Amino acid sequence: MKYLALRLIRAVLLLLGVSVLCFLFTEMAPGSFFDEMRLNPQVSPDTIASLRSRYGLDQPLVVRYGRWVHSALRADFGYSIAYNSPVAPLLWTRAKNTLLLNTAAMVLTWLISVPLGVWIATLRRSAWDRAIDGLNSILISLPEIVVAVAVLAIVVRWRVLPVGGMSSVDQDALSHWARAREIATRMLLPVMILTLVEAGIIVRHVRAAVLEILDAPFVQAGRALGISNVRLMLRHVLPVAANPIISLFGLSLAGLLSGSLLIEAICGWPGLGPLILDATLARDLYLVIGGIMLSTLFMLGGNLIADAMLLACDPRIRTGRADES
Amino acid sequence: MNRKASILILALAALHLALLFTGFLAPCDPIAQDRDLPYAPPTRLHFRDTSGWHLRPFVYALQPGPDGYIEDRSQSFLVRLMVRGNKYKLLGLVPLDWHLIGVDQPGKIALLGTDEFGRDEFSRVLYGGQISVAAGILATLVALTAGATFGVVAGYYGWIVDEALMGATELFLCLPWLYFLLGVRAFLPLHLSATRTFFLLTAVIGLIGWARPARLVRGIVLTARTRNYVLAAKGFGGSDSYVMRRHILPEVMSVLVAQAALLVPRYIAAEVTLSFFGLGVNEPTASWGNMLSVLQRYSVLVSYQWLLAPAVALVITSVIYGLLADALLSRLEFQST
Amino acid sequence: MKFTVRLALLVCLIAVPCLASGPSPEKPNPGEELFRADQTSGHYGGNLSIGGRAEPKTFNPVIATDAVSREITGRMMADLIEINRASQQTEPALAKSWKISPDGRTFTLQLRKGIRFSDGQPFDADDVVFSFGLYLDKNVDAPQRDLLVIDGKPLTVTKVDRYTVRFSLPRPYASAERLFDGLAMLPKHLLEKPYREGKFVETWSLNASPAEIAGLGPFRLKQFVPGQRVVLERNPYYWKMDSKNQRLPYLDEITFLFVGTEDAQVMRFEAGETSMISRLGSENYNLLAHERDRTHAQLVDMGPSLEYNFLLFTQNDLSDKKLDGIARKQKWFRELKFRQAVSAAIDRDSIVRMVYGTRGVALWGNVGPGNKLWLNNAIPHPQRSLENARNLLKSAGFSWNQSGNLLDPAGAEVEFSIITSSSNAQRMKMATLLQDDLSHLGMQVHVVPLEFRALIDRVFQSFDYDAAIMGLGGGDADPNPEMNVWISSGTSHLWHLHETEPATAWEREVDELMQQQMITLDYGKRKQLYDRVQELIAEQLPFIFLATPNILAAADPRVGNFHPASLDPYTLWNADELYIRTPMESAGVR
Repeated sequence: MKYLALRLIRAVLLLLGVSVLCFLFTEMAPGSFFDEMRLNPQVSPDTIASLRSRYGLDQPLVVRYGRWVHSALRADFGYSIAYNSPVAPLLWTRAKNTLLLNTAAMVLTWLISVPLGVWIATLRRSAWDRAIDGLNSILISLPEIVVAVAVLAIVVRWRVLPVGGMSSVDQDALSHWARAREIATRMLLPVMILTLVEAGIIVRHVRAAVLEILDAPFVQAGRALGISNVRLMLRHVLPVAANPIISLFGLSLAGLLSGSLLIEAICGWPGLGPLILDATLARDLYLVIGGIMLSTLFMLGGNLIADAMLLACDPRIRTGRADES
Repeated sequence: MNRKASILILALAALHLALLFTGFLAPCDPIAQDRDLPYAPPTRLHFRDTSGWHLRPFVYALQPGPDGYIEDRSQSFLVRLMVRGNKYKLLGLVPLDWHLIGVDQPGKIALLGTDEFGRDEFSRVLYGGQISVAAGILATLVALTAGATFGVVAGYYGWIVDEALMGATELFLCLPWLYFLLGVRAFLPLHLSATRTFFLLTAVIGLIGWARPARLVRGIVLTARTRNYVLAAKGFGGSDSYVMRRHILPEVMSVLVAQAALLVPRYIAAEVTLSFFGLGVNEPTASWGNMLSVLQRYSVLVSYQWLLAPAVALVITSVIYGLLADALLSRLEFQST
Repeated sequence: MKFTVRLALLVCLIAVPCLASGPSPEKPNPGEELFRADQTSGHYGGNLSIGGRAEPKTFNPVIATDAVSREITGRMMADLIEINRASQQTEPALAKSWKISPDGRTFTLQLRKGIRFSDGQPFDADDVVFSFGLYLDKNVDAPQRDLLVIDGKPLTVTKVDRYTVRFSLPRPYASAERLFDGLAMLPKHLLEKPYREGKFVETWSLNASPAEIAGLGPFRLKQFVPGQRVVLERNPYYWKMDSKNQRLPYLDEITFLFVGTEDAQVMRFEAGETSMISRLGSENYNLLAHERDRTHAQLVDMGPSLEYNFLLFTQNDLSDKKLDGIARKQKWFRELKFRQAVSAAIDRDSIVRMVYGTRGVALWGNVGPGNKLWLNNAIPHPQRSLENARNLLKSAGFSWNQSGNLLDPAGAEVEFSIITSSSNAQRMKMATLLQDDLSHLGMQVHVVPLEFRALIDRVFQSFDYDAAIMGLGGGDADPNPEMNVWISSGTSHLWHLHETEPATAWEREVDELMQQQMITLDYGKRKQLYDRVQELIAEQLPFIFLATPNILAAADPRVGNFHPASLDPYTLWNADELYIRTPMESAGVR
């Protein structure tokens, strides 16, 4: 209970801290939204000044922050200067797309990586193990941008998959099933890239963790006692090996909204990433801050779940804590 | 396994030597433009002409053709070893002008073709590697050192310290770093010398990058500190720092080594983003980061594939580091059991 | 899978009457006074897909500031008088004729009778008065307001009768009818209520349903999918018809796909998902040209655009800023011979060849060959000469040291930075070329890419820069829109902003000439005045002009009446005339 209360306080502090720093950072950055209009010789500075004051951009930082917090508490996250409409619905429409993409990628990644990692750990130093490990090393070493561009180039060159967007032009003519299939086809490319980028690391960690445990005395004892391999794996080895994997899982969950920015931009997936990126470059303050707060919420959630799983899986941590209280 | 490790170490040594001796290995000045020869494909080495086979390869001059360039067979230039060319400073100290390979004037040898300004891509990849690999390694060291320190402290002491530090990592992971980069750029003087840019690169990347390793390390430490030998060491009166150093840190090493192999190539690629904000290495200096921006250009992917050389170089470097990290990891596993 | 997808797209793109999804055009009735496009012919049907940089931010033409929003709303709206992008001359649009008073201050416009908005409601002088009221309202802060304010006084609009409107300008203004292009006529019946309630700024946002939006343009909103596409459908009440008295537009629908960068647009174009690209760089253009034999794509090189790219040295007054380093360098920048030397050392041929792939033109003045009406052909085009440059520097007291570095008269090394926008690859390339060029003079030049708005901040606000490469122009051929660049008090007088009075004699002369040409109604006399302005600018080099790109556009072979122009919007300015050819017609055209 005490633990939960502490986490809650920490969460609130984090949200406050993030919001303050966000405002500070946006203040530090030079330029403002209406600067693009300065380049147009036909627009007068008076108009620009007037527009700035309409959106409250000429107010001092503290005042703006105060007003933002005040309205945020009432679930009003401000106005987007570019879109001239409230921030929250704008964010949510795009966030849904990103969540869809990243959840699909995460499911696929973990479904493939964990069994694969366990399997090659059991194979242990065989030819398969070495081959997959080698390929894995290569894959992990590639920076995300290289993987993304390489896959994109292949897909474009051989016209294997449609690129960009979430659906084709005449959506309305299609049934729900056809529509879902259409989205799935368009999702294949970014999901593939995301999986390629993430899977290697997870396989690596799973394999390392399982290998470490496989040599432990209690496992050998279990084998000697006649416990079957599968039961041994599931009941004794995996929970112990799970530690770094759970941290990774937590990081994956936390990055559900923010982790795929580059891929979305390259593949043209209409997600939150490109929206926030454009808003950042355009200095559309409240949209950016709203997006950051949303990502923070997800991160908090992801970390909470990860820490809870860590506690659940490794009783030693729990008792460790109990000793100190 | 030992043989594999030795091959890798040799490869790494060769790579680093190449990067140290770029001046000697690079046939051309990386910033010298040749405005008559933009986007030239890699120079083909010929061993045979109308008079038969030769031991020494030669190259032809390039003339503009309908679809790029065609070789002008009337002008051939022999390729020579140990040629005098543009001046450079070996290891930054010794002024020299000897180059390993070169071609009789006015021929040009572009082993990996030329870029949009007619600059030799091969030389640029070599010189670029110097900056990028060094920056990547340094940034990784900074990020991992900070991350490991904070992670170990957080995991070991637990409770309030843990909450505070993990709160800090969450803060770091959430913040809009693009705005921060804009702000940093605004505060800095307009022109930064090459060394200052370099250190700035590493500082920024390290500053932003410590949070993720810290979380991973903290997770390990949380478990490790409850191990029997740790409790025993504490029972025997070992101080906190002693226990952290002697017993916890080795546990953490495997994660750190794995992370290092991951982060170095990522940080090298991160320079692409930094260049967009003006915080990268500026023209005309070459670095893999600023050369990688060609990856976005469709015409490059279709017509000028030799400009993908820095990406290939980055991949090769990352793979060598990655495989070496693996070998190191296996040794660590071996040792701990 | 690939085959069926292509087949499906083929079916979408080709005119098949039973699949026509747009509303059918209303038959022209005798009560309507339609505009007859005598040169135009084509047939109905089809959907045109075009890729765009990003999604629009609003459908409100008064609020729209970004290019994408303006491009899309521009297809839904119409103006009283429009500038024909091909001829660069004005032509009647919603106003079928107009009379100008002898003193040039009063315009009386006759509106077309019987015209209806896209929702069927009639259009008349009330809508005109309402629209201009909106534009001129200070509380709305429309950027268009500044166009309508001359010498601090706004123009006035009065309704004479149901189809006649009178505009009074505070003083004569040359080419005043060009002002009307871009001022969309808005429906009073839909917008008056939100305007009175103070909610105008929020109307016609991206959340608006198609029924809430009505305009006089060739198309109206059908569907918006956030982050993905906008679909416009035919306006059945559009006021233009073709040579056979068929009501335009021909296309059933236009779809804007938010594709992203130019490279992504080319990829989608090659994949057959879009049929048109508005503006290409030379590299991608050449790439498509290579494939032309296979794809039969229509590739058009329209010749030089009206933009001008230039190198700018800061001559701002820095006395109240703590920028001593830059202030020191301004001694060089203010020296005319220094700027002339820099201009003489620049290799403009290489810029045209390497940055624009030979599809561009070098510039020595602010008006280039793309602007046939206003170009001053007598301006000298000195060839590159490093010797001339060195002599100029010598005569200004500069010298060279042992290592070949240039020293100023006080003995300090000449070193400065050029800032440019990191998102503009062409200007970055120019910067690198210039750096190399100027190194031959012994100058140490650093190239500093900056993010776009950071650049604007330095050039307009903080003045914390040495030199910058930027681009202006391209909006209209007429000199009047450029007033604020050249008059000394102008807000775009980039090299020396916030002048309270002209800093030099030549700037005073330019001020007088520009003010004079603004009120001179005769083209010949205006041209003489503006020629002299161009002469002065080319002599005094406040900007060192570099080059201008050609306008390059591409379209699928099935797009008919594809006539790109040198003025924005390059390919969609005649969207009402575009049509989809049948396969037989396309084959014939090849």
